[in-house]
Amino acid sequence: MKPINDFISRFETSINLDEKLTVKKQNRFFLINKTLRFQILKDFFYVGAYLGKVKDGIFFPSFILLAMIAETKANKTMVDKKTAWLFICGRDVFKRGIMQMTGSKSKGDYTLVLNQNSECLGFGKILCNINEEKDKSKVIVKNISNLGDFLKREK
Amino acid sequence: MPGKEFFIRRYEQLGWIYREFEPNPSIRINNMNTKKTNIVKRLESLGVVLEKIPFLDYGFWVCKSRFSLGATAEYLLGLYSIQEAAAQIPVTLFTELENKAVLDACAAPGGKTVQLADLMQNTGVITALDVKKQRLFALSNQLERCRVKNTVVYLMDARKSSLLGVKFDRILLDVPCSGNYVTDRAWFNRRALKDIERNAEVQRLILAEAVNVAKNNGEIIYSTCSLEPEENELNIDWAIRTLNLEVEEINCYGDKALTNVFGRQLDRSIANCRRIWPTQTQGFFVCKLKKRA
Repeated sequence: MKPINDFISRFETSINLDEKLTVKKQNRFFLINKTLRFQILKDFFYVGAYLGKVKDGIFFPSFILLAMIAETKANKTMVDKKTAWLFICGRDVFKRGIMQMTGSKSKGDYTLVLNQNSECLGFGKILCNINEEKDKSKVIVKNISNLGDFLKREK
Repeated sequence: MPGKEFFIRRYEQLGWIYREFEPNPSIRINNMNTKKTNIVKRLESLGVVLEKIPFLDYGFWVCKSRFSLGATAEYLLGLYSIQEAAAQIPVTLFTELENKAVLDACAAPGGKTVQLADLMQNTGVITALDVKKQRLFALSNQLERCRVKNTVVYLMDARKSSLLGVKFDRILLDVPCSGNYVTDRAWFNRRALKDIERNAEVQRLILAEAVNVAKNNGEIIYSTCSLEPEENELNIDWAIRTLNLEVEEINCYGDKALTNVFGRQLDRSIANCRRIWPTQTQGFFVCKLKKRA
């Protein structure tokens, strides 16, 4: 649970995950409901809502967890249409593509990246405070993880 | 290898004239994830031309698209899935899916598992099995992409599903099959009757195990994308005679299945199954079975 809660806190928010309903399989974490809890056998491959995995001490969140964080008052960066697509393609977020930033704008903090429909596309690390940066071609959010990952996984 | 002519003659004997055919790609809207957005409008605004599939509630033909629909933000957000039109039919034939215990016995790559979860509104439990570990990664990715939360996945052969110790209300048997020439251009050169018979035997074993894990009056949907009667009507005829199953009437796209195959008379209720020759979709066979109480 600790790696998940630590990760969530980097968005300056929290989610009340029921420890009894969080299961770990090797290095992967899943959130289940009470119905699933009474049905699963020990040797499952995947169950419920996948939350993420720990690899080499680093927590890699799932897109289900990111969407859950996006439902809270987390740090969020809403970007325009073109930037949204470029973000999914792996590009960082420039100042000119940002429509709105809520929550922390401090260097080093994590922020979710949302499209104009408030759908979570991934997350990144804030490289500099948007209010202090005048150059529109400066990277504000470094791309850490984005939905384009689904396209890479099975290759 | 018997080759193309052999199979074409077989289809003629079954009452169908072979034709070359390439179906339009199709998508299925994931209703659960699109409550706050109009996905059809969003795709149309990207220049995608869609046409509602008349026999499906959430299916659309993709008539025109300048890009791959498997690489849009909307796809990656799980707002829709790419799923062949005929393959969208089986799951829609179940009644009352919400809060049920459902077995998806041959689940990977997961298109129908996601469709089940969608119709179940993420309630109940889907137990999804597949026999190949590599295919479970694809299945898991689909579940994550489409925000499915009610599924447990096991690496397990459907022929051993009673090891789970669970009785199911609904069972989907989208069994491994020989496929058809529409989705595989080299199909005629790759297939021989002995492959078809081998597949048919595996399918019968899966059917028999499904009966063991089905609740009384539980519903079983059996489907293949094969045109070969050994994997379809002949297997269902065997299941009626051997497994205490009865065929339920279904109302969906497709022709009545064959009750006379190469001169052999089958149970009349098999006419309630649907055989889909490749005219608008790929080749397909689907039926609904009920375990007699």
